Amino acid sequence: MSNENIVKIENLIKRYDQAGVIALDGINLEIKKGEFVSIMGPSGSGKSTLLNMIGALDQADEGSIQVSGQNLMEKKDFSSFRSKEIGFIFQLHNLIPNLTASENVQIPMLQTNNSDEEMVKRATELLGSVNLGNRVDQVPTKLSGGERQRIAIARALVNHPNIILADEPTGALDSKMGDIILELLREIHEKENMTLILVTHEEYVAKKADRIISMMDGKITSENCTL
Amino acid sequence: MKFRSLIIKNIFRNKSRSILAIIGIAIGAAAILGLGLVTDSLASSTQQALTTGAADFSVLPSSFGGHGSGGGFGGGSGGGFGGSSAFNGSSGATFVSAGQTIDQSTLNSIQQMPGVETAAGVLRSATELNGTTQPLTLLGIDSQDLSLDDVQITNGSAFTSSNQIILGSTAATGLNKTIGDQLTFDNQTFIVVGIYETGDFMSDRGAILSLSTLQNLTNTTGVSQILVKASNGTSPTSLSSQITQNYTNLTTSTSLSGFNRMNNGIQIIESGSWAITLIALLVAGVMVVATMMKSVSDRTREIGVLKAVGWNKRRILALIIGESMILASIATVIGLIIGVGAVEVLISSHILNGIHIALSLNLVLEAVGVALFLGIVGGIYPAYRASRLAPTEALRYE
Repeated sequence: MSNENIVKIENLIKRYDQAGVIALDGINLEIKKGEFVSIMGPSGSGKSTLLNMIGALDQADEGSIQVSGQNLMEKKDFSSFRSKEIGFIFQLHNLIPNLTASENVQIPMLQTNNSDEEMVKRATELLGSVNLGNRVDQVPTKLSGGERQRIAIARALVNHPNIILADEPTGALDSKMGDIILELLREIHEKENMTLILVTHEEYVAKKADRIISMMDGKITSENCTL
Repeated sequence: MKFRSLIIKNIFRNKSRSILAIIGIAIGAAAILGLGLVTDSLASSTQQALTTGAADFSVLPSSFGGHGSGGGFGGGSGGGFGGSSAFNGSSGATFVSAGQTIDQSTLNSIQQMPGVETAAGVLRSATELNGTTQPLTLLGIDSQDLSLDDVQITNGSAFTSSNQIILGSTAATGLNKTIGDQLTFDNQTFIVVGIYETGDFMSDRGAILSLSTLQNLTNTTGVSQILVKASNGTSPTSLSSQITQNYTNLTTSTSLSGFNRMNNGIQIIESGSWAITLIALLVAGVMVVATMMKSVSDRTREIGVLKAVGWNKRRILALIIGESMILASIATVIGLIIGVGAVEVLISSHILNGIHIALSLNLVLEAVGVALFLGIVGGIYPAYRASRLAPTEALRYE
């Protein structure tokens, strides 16, 4: 972990106009490059909204947010930013059911200039690293929940992102499989020195991180270092 | 994995949805081709039936003062016997001439005019059969030009030599003559080699022999009129005008009003076909849009994921329109087969009797073009909607 901030958020506010709800209410947060951070809180606390802001999937109404040096308050298309800088892991793996494990991993690479051979090679390599080397040509419907989530992890890593954003990555898994996935994420984080931001509502999952940020009603209520 | 592989795999992901879209577009393509084929064939067959053989108009001397239109030989000629002057033939028989004639050089000149497919000289006369006072109208025309005067040989064959003649069906009945019988006038004997019908009562009361034979018999070198058929792509009206401008001593007598009526009829058929095709296209278009909208709606969450992993709007658009285009391509091929097949079935089952299939490359290209256009246009709105989806909303979609 370096001293350089990869995420810098100041007084970030997000309102949902239709419901008149303030999802994020003056968030201030700094995350170091290579840090493993958990954002914990009950449902509706704003943790997933904050994750979406960091991943440039949504835009705040006020404040400032800088991620990997990119001002995310600008009015522009951040697809290229997401492609290069961010790797998403969702609670429901969100794999394309008729594509093989390898093809699912290659999906983000279709937006890049890699050759077909390079894409296949990278996908095979990543699936090997998440212990799915023998499942490369399997479609997700024939794989277990844990295996599917591992494919999703490989997909998140395929474009060498600087930040991995994981939204309840173990939420749909049993505890044993959840632990395996969390251990895998930690391994990748340490090996690749990637910044890992994980959203969860479970304390034991949050404790796997270097730092736990607790949220309630759109505000950060505490920050605890677990190290 | 190639992008196009993903497009193709997506199409076969939900087979029933894809089949529905294919059916929709195929109906459009089949309608365009099938209805177009019927209309084109109908128009072509109608035109062929109305114009085969018959001259578009006839050229007459401008001082021609005949009995007016409708009299005389053959459809399309319009002219009748004129002049009514009597003179002695080569052997002393009395012939009635057609009046003023057109000389051979003018005939040759008209034959060479651009836009003229055929120009046939015709000489009209009348005589009395030897030993009787029974009049017989005579027409001199080369045998290969008989169809220009709407002459249909119903029995026997056309004349091939100067001593052969063909008789109108009414004349043959009246004279009690048939194939192989002899007919004598001007002290010359002719062998009846054919019986013809024109559909015109007056014409069917006469006889036809070769132009040169009648010219010899009547001591004439010219022709009474010239039957002109315009070549394909040439308007008979403008050709007729051009002839009267070039030859001020000639006038034209036409059945152009009939020709125009026929053209109007064909245009009405074509308009009707287009109206039906447009309805079919509308139905097919709605099916494509509905299918692709359903496809996008079903994959909302997936599109959210694609956006989350960095796909831009252009790539999402390309994915959906690509799927739509491939569906349209498959449907086009099926539609073409169905369209042609349906028409073939209608013809073989004698529902479209008398219509000859007129499948043209233009029609096929038209059907392919419209169906592909339909596929693209049908995919644009759903693709646009997909590309505009907010990733967070798409990811929340259940």
